[in-house]
Amino acid sequence: MRANVWSGRNGVQVENVPDPTLLNDRDAIVKISSTAICGSDLHLYDGYVPTMKRGDILGHEFMGEVVETGRGVDNLAVGDRVVVPFPIACGNCWSCKHELYSVCENSNPNAGIAEKMFGHPTAGIFGYSHITGGYAGGQAEYARVPYADVGPFKIEDDLTDEQVLFLSDIFPTGYMGAEFCQITGGETIAVFGAGPVGQFAIASAVMLGAERVIAIDEYDYRLQMATARAGATDAINFSENADVVEQLKELTGGRGPDAVIDAVGMEAVSGHGVVHAVDRVKQAARIESDRGAALRDAIMACRPGGIVSVIGVYGGLMDKFPTGAFMNKGLTLRSGQCHVQRYIKPLYERIRKGDIDPSFVVTHRLELGHAPDGYETFKHKQDNCVKVVLKP
Amino acid sequence: MRRVATITVLGAREEVQRLWRELAAERGADPPVSFMTAPGDRGTEIRVEVPDAPSNAVGQAVTKLSGSDPLAKAKDELRRFKQLFETGVIARSDGTPEGHAVERQLKQRPAQPLEQPEREKAGV
Repeated sequence: MRANVWSGRNGVQVENVPDPTLLNDRDAIVKISSTAICGSDLHLYDGYVPTMKRGDILGHEFMGEVVETGRGVDNLAVGDRVVVPFPIACGNCWSCKHELYSVCENSNPNAGIAEKMFGHPTAGIFGYSHITGGYAGGQAEYARVPYADVGPFKIEDDLTDEQVLFLSDIFPTGYMGAEFCQITGGETIAVFGAGPVGQFAIASAVMLGAERVIAIDEYDYRLQMATARAGATDAINFSENADVVEQLKELTGGRGPDAVIDAVGMEAVSGHGVVHAVDRVKQAARIESDRGAALRDAIMACRPGGIVSVIGVYGGLMDKFPTGAFMNKGLTLRSGQCHVQRYIKPLYERIRKGDIDPSFVVTHRLELGHAPDGYETFKHKQDNCVKVVLKP
Repeated sequence: MRRVATITVLGAREEVQRLWRELAAERGADPPVSFMTAPGDRGTEIRVEVPDAPSNAVGQAVTKLSGSDPLAKAKDELRRFKQLFETGVIARSDGTPEGHAVERQLKQRPAQPLEQPEREKAGV
């Protein structure tokens, strides 16, 4: 089959690789109909995630048709149309039983590597380095899906691929980020990053009842999507004015947002040139792995007693974490890779009811063979790119 | 220095011990092991004691790199046992097709599907 593989820093290529086969009774094989490039794939592409290997098949957002099932999979049949959650979860361990699927205790066969990095192992993830298991990803014609009796979600109506594909990751991820904010009605929520996850965090905050949602980014076209499509009430472009914290105070009568969502992660860009340069140098020299501009500003901007919700991906260590502001303002920090399996059904119902049509983020549609162009376009924000969907 | 590998398995102590005994019979020699009911609804804590590491740095490095460190081996066994008990299968990926193994962590396959001979070698 053809698959998009990592070929070193800033390199991916579409190659012929062996077709996947069942390795366990609880596996299924899915013929992929649509797959996407995620912002977190750019962290791999840019070389900031360790334990990548040349030849790794990328991709953790995919859906398609079941073409084979193991003996232990009794809920799926050949021909079923399914969306596959990006965290691989067994459904049996204590964490899965408590709906903490992204920290499944059994699905990572490289648990020892993850334990060294994070203190504890975390779940396997498709196409996302060897810390998360070394699983082949979904930017391919076929994928093997472990614990297929737990993860894949059946789509039994005529919604298009683009309407349901993002249930695999970015819609639930954005939703979880908003849910962390404990919105009961009337809140002001600030969202750092108006990429695809940020768009869904904004849309989810609106759905959950936030009164004002402030989008923060450096690209006007993304901020326009945030206000025109996702429902943001205000926008801050930090390339025009770097002092995001001050602007958030101005917009909130000095109070600061009730909760702030970091939908940026480890490759944050700061409008403060010097701060950004220092973080870039430290990251390049491997003194810090995570650039912290967004998270620092999120903590500084959040109102006392508020919540900072981190759904942008971090991988290691950052410098200058504002512990003083975090502690003295009594903030709550919530975070995690999304427990997709927990959210996929309720969010699917939201799509069916017409509360949201997630396809609004799609700006580019490419054949799988053009995946390398898709990565370049997405990375450099060319052609007003927000989300790239690949068709095998 | 006494070294211990430990893991918590979601199951009643008697059931956990029963499967452990069955698998230990297949494995042959087994290091000293103890079982304790975990607090709350957490299951059963398994604790395995392993021999001391070589006292010199060279010996420690050799055992670590060759994958022959008994502590690492015990941790592999515990992880695989937990997977079997809780899920009925050993977690296998393309990078680590044999399931959790310290030697494999140092020498990963690329994350792409295996050809038939590789699958056989991995015991799949």
